[in-house]
Amino acid sequence: MKKQVRFVLRHVILLLLAVFWLVPIVWLVATSFSGYKGINTAHFFPETWSFDNYLALFLRPDSVVQYKAWFMNTLVIAIFTCIISTIFVLMVAYTMSCLRFKGRKGLMSFGIILNMFPGVLSMIAVYFILKSLGLTNSHVGMIIVYSAASGLGYLIAKGFMDTISISLREAAWLEGASEAKIFWKIILPLSKPIIVYTVISSFLVPWGDFVFAKLILNSGISADWTVAIGLYNMLNKSLINKYFSIFCAGGVVVSIPISILFVIMQKFYVEGITGGSVKG
Amino acid sequence: MKNKLNSIGNYFKDFGTALAKGDIWVKLSLVWMGAGYAARKQIINAVIMTLLEAVFVIMCVFYAAPNLAKFGTLGTVQFEQVFDPLTLTSTVNDYDNSFLILLNSIIALFLIVVFILVYISNIKTVYNLQKRKEAGKHINTFREDVRAMFNERFHITLLTLPCIGIILMNVLPILVLIAIAFTNYDQQHMPPSALFTWVGWTNFKSLFTNSTTITFGYSFGKVLIWTLEWAVLATFTTYIGGILLAKFINNKATKWPKFWRTLFIIAIAVPQFVTLLLVRNFFADSGIVNTICANIGLTDFLKKIGLVGSNLTYIPFLTNPTWAKVMIVLINIWVGVPYQMLIATGVLMNIPEDQIESARIDGANSFQIFVKITMPYMLFVTGPSLITDFVKNINNFNVIYLLTQDVYVTSDQMLANSNAKEIDLLVTWLFRLTNEYYNYKMASVIGICVFIICAAFTLITFTRTIKGDKEDQFR
Amino acid sequence: MKKKLLASLLTVSMVAAMLTGCGGSKEEAPANTTETTEAAGGAESTDAAESTDAADPVANLIAATTDTVALTVWASEEDQTLTTELLEKFKAQYPDVTFDIKLGSESESTAKDTILADVEAAADVFAFADDQINELVAAGALQPVSATYTYDVAGENVAGAVEAATVNGTLYAYPMTADNGYFMFYDASVFTEDDVQSLEKMIEVAGAAGKKVAMDISNGWYIYSFFQGAGYDLTLNDDGVTNSCSWNAAGATDVAQAIIDLCGTGVLVDLGDEEMATAIAEGTVVAAVNGTWRAETASDAWGENYAATKLPTFEVAEEAKQMSSYSGYKLIGVNPYSANVGWSMLLAEYLTNADSQAARFEARGLGPANSTVAASSAVQENPAIAALAAQAAYATPQRVGGNFWTPAETLGQILASGNPDGTDLQTLLDTAVEGITAPVQ
Repeated sequence: MKKQVRFVLRHVILLLLAVFWLVPIVWLVATSFSGYKGINTAHFFPETWSFDNYLALFLRPDSVVQYKAWFMNTLVIAIFTCIISTIFVLMVAYTMSCLRFKGRKGLMSFGIILNMFPGVLSMIAVYFILKSLGLTNSHVGMIIVYSAASGLGYLIAKGFMDTISISLREAAWLEGASEAKIFWKIILPLSKPIIVYTVISSFLVPWGDFVFAKLILNSGISADWTVAIGLYNMLNKSLINKYFSIFCAGGVVVSIPISILFVIMQKFYVEGITGGSVKG
Repeated sequence: MKNKLNSIGNYFKDFGTALAKGDIWVKLSLVWMGAGYAARKQIINAVIMTLLEAVFVIMCVFYAAPNLAKFGTLGTVQFEQVFDPLTLTSTVNDYDNSFLILLNSIIALFLIVVFILVYISNIKTVYNLQKRKEAGKHINTFREDVRAMFNERFHITLLTLPCIGIILMNVLPILVLIAIAFTNYDQQHMPPSALFTWVGWTNFKSLFTNSTTITFGYSFGKVLIWTLEWAVLATFTTYIGGILLAKFINNKATKWPKFWRTLFIIAIAVPQFVTLLLVRNFFADSGIVNTICANIGLTDFLKKIGLVGSNLTYIPFLTNPTWAKVMIVLINIWVGVPYQMLIATGVLMNIPEDQIESARIDGANSFQIFVKITMPYMLFVTGPSLITDFVKNINNFNVIYLLTQDVYVTSDQMLANSNAKEIDLLVTWLFRLTNEYYNYKMASVIGICVFIICAAFTLITFTRTIKGDKEDQFR
Repeated sequence: MKKKLLASLLTVSMVAAMLTGCGGSKEEAPANTTETTEAAGGAESTDAAESTDAADPVANLIAATTDTVALTVWASEEDQTLTTELLEKFKAQYPDVTFDIKLGSESESTAKDTILADVEAAADVFAFADDQINELVAAGALQPVSATYTYDVAGENVAGAVEAATVNGTLYAYPMTADNGYFMFYDASVFTEDDVQSLEKMIEVAGAAGKKVAMDISNGWYIYSFFQGAGYDLTLNDDGVTNSCSWNAAGATDVAQAIIDLCGTGVLVDLGDEEMATAIAEGTVVAAVNGTWRAETASDAWGENYAATKLPTFEVAEEAKQMSSYSGYKLIGVNPYSANVGWSMLLAEYLTNADSQAARFEARGLGPANSTVAASSAVQENPAIAALAAQAAYATPQRVGGNFWTPAETLGQILASGNPDGTDLQTLLDTAVEGITAPVQ
């Protein structure tokens, strides 16, 4: 009997916690189907339901809502960012993990410190460097901002590669394989979980950043924006009362692909950071 | 430290030896960088080095020299424009842009330093070639040199591109930031229309002094304390919360653990800026939560016990300093706990079962097991990432900015006089100083402080990991 | 050329670094930055055409323009449709010139923030609110209107608008609307015309009806209304950036006390603009101090009971004082760093001429700055604009340095929440004034 009470209690607590965690998300989804465009502060669920916000998102682009364009822009930026970042991260991680050369540890510490430096602090300098390269207001510039310094985020990937047995590489050496070949043929195939993690996490960066995007895409032409700035802009004082429920719809749409990737990534992330201590 | 000094000493000693003992070709390399290679029939190397030298000279003359000449003053010619009403065109003088002079000078200095390093090691390489020749050893052909790039020198091949990226988007901006802290770059001195110049340590002084009109010192102290409080609170609440939630869900008594886990993941899978902006409106003074609280009488109850000011008709979730701080931490728990739960789940699954079993046999209860076995194991595995989280929280721009921007009004007049707010972290304060008040110089000073704080924390943790060379133990 | 040169430097230095193999790996330097931005105005190739009559500058300009004229225009989100139409008409006026005009959206109230971040990257022609003019001029972001071509900017617009567009005797912008000030909206089914003469009376009436009166008190722009109304000054110094302020002079504590008392009733509520809009729509707020941009919200909510008038009086030490206000204007400015200054000026003139202002009033109900258009009967009958006109006698143009806003906002916040720490009012005002009058660091 006592056991049953505890069983029920345990699940009721979980249920309460889950409700607490999901309330804002439910509100997001509910509001995205609201017939009222502004913020409904009197009722949790909308008074009139409508699918119109989603139609506005995709079928009626105006200067405020250019969702399709934003989505495509962000997608293109994200794809290139993810390719470059992944390559950079793997190159640095392999170098730091498997190769031995003078100054390696110094470089590693230096890299970790630099990686802790938040980009927000130096954004003005970043802006003017891009400007002197003629890359402001261009998606190439955005890709550079998101991916150029990505090599600094090597730590997790390195931790993973550290767990790959050195005997594999030694065997390859004896057969006369070059370092490049070992990297390509042995280490990379074994690093699949961490590659997936790096790919997805770098893919997600452009979807969430609005600080740099806002600074660099400053022409005011809304079709050039990314999803993040576009949605952020809808909550401007003068727009929020007309666009809040469209903002919610936009939030829901962008969440769908991202949540799927996110869930996949989590699994590999856990493998990546626990790999080192477990397999050892 | 001594090691470092020694290696620097050796670096120059080698250079000296190379120069002293080198033959005519090595000495000629001082002027013509390709000479040493040409003498050993490494023609392609010779051509490349010669080209490099030429390009460097051209860079110096046309890029470095004009900029560095103005580096001392950061420009003297003010922007002037004359408009001709008859042709509707304007003519502009050849004005100086202080920021571009600063930026270009830093890049030029950087290039020069790099060139000097290349130059010194060039002499050494050439001297080595000479020694090899004298010893009758094989001298690499160009093809062999290239092949080495994929073997002994593979690290250089791999690191080149990432390093260029890091220098461009990380190192150079940091150098510029540091330089700006010593100038008077602010709204009164904004290029291109106005010039700014060096002012030495003035900005640092005003950060640490207090007067009636300059309250930066006061604000810096307050903001710094809250930043650290926040970082500690945010890191530990989510960390402990994540572990507890993971334990709770993974407990054998819990049915459908996967289902519960998914519910929590949904909450964080929505991009942060969407959820945070949403939550801001959720808890707005006239938002839905306040409506509900008023309807169920919670607002009145809180008023009665004095937690809400008597003249308010709403709960100031994000507009009263204390409420806002508590709410921000709570919302951060909401954002961070599911994430930590996932990591904790992964780690907990890998806890060696035998240890727990033997503890149980010894009569330990579950709390003791948690404290004595689970937590130490968790800390061992996730320790480094905990510190990373701590530093990330010091710079947690998104949570603070998205939740409070345009909503929160400070009621501390001293803070207001230097454009800070009670809930500001150093980064958000800095962001608003640059973005809304164009006070670049003070923002840079604060930026340097943030950097030093973060670097200190990082170094403490990671030098141990790196120096201890645990990496080789596992193999 | 320079870029190519630097690119080859990059390549060579990379290869060289690999060959010399000097241990480190950070040797490679970025080859970036072409030096300097070209002097902006000079980019246009306008050798004054000899064939045309030198007395007609516009004809000169047309003749001298051979390339496509690329311009960027910033207008607020709400103004996009109208501006697009006006741009088409503008293009039609000059059939011989090929234009490539891009329309971006940038709210008038935040234009300054974007422009000052990088003047050279800002639009050629942009709309902004007149309170930003000092900072824009100080940053060199406004081309002086030293000559006009299609209409007389200074002569045809109302004096207040021209004054608002003038800094130190130089006209820097083209007035677009004259309605950026604030006044009182109210629901005529709740208040009579007599009620709205005094704030105390309004609070009494609204309180009896269980409704609220809203004003954004924790906002420097609005709190000014009380202090200025009671006769305490806030002015911009001659340097154009710092302020003089007498809000801590003898007797000013009475004003502060009055605000505390008014808010203490619980009927006068401190709401931000967007929250106010929601509250009006929901019916909890039946009177609000706000501007024309909220006219639509109010008339939607109150229907035919929608009314507007000048601000009421309020009592300071038992004496009724008329609340003051800022008169606000929206202006159009030309970027001096534009590659096509001439065309930008012509476009700015076009966007602000009498016809465009009339069109703007018809499309969006925005009060025109043009005297003729403003005098038309349609404009005169608009309740919001009539209220602004009535308030005009008590309004002052907004001339204030950047250090005003945050301290004033905080002062408003403290007063509206009833001075929770119980700070001595004189100290409160002294600290606020210190912040407001602080030198620009």
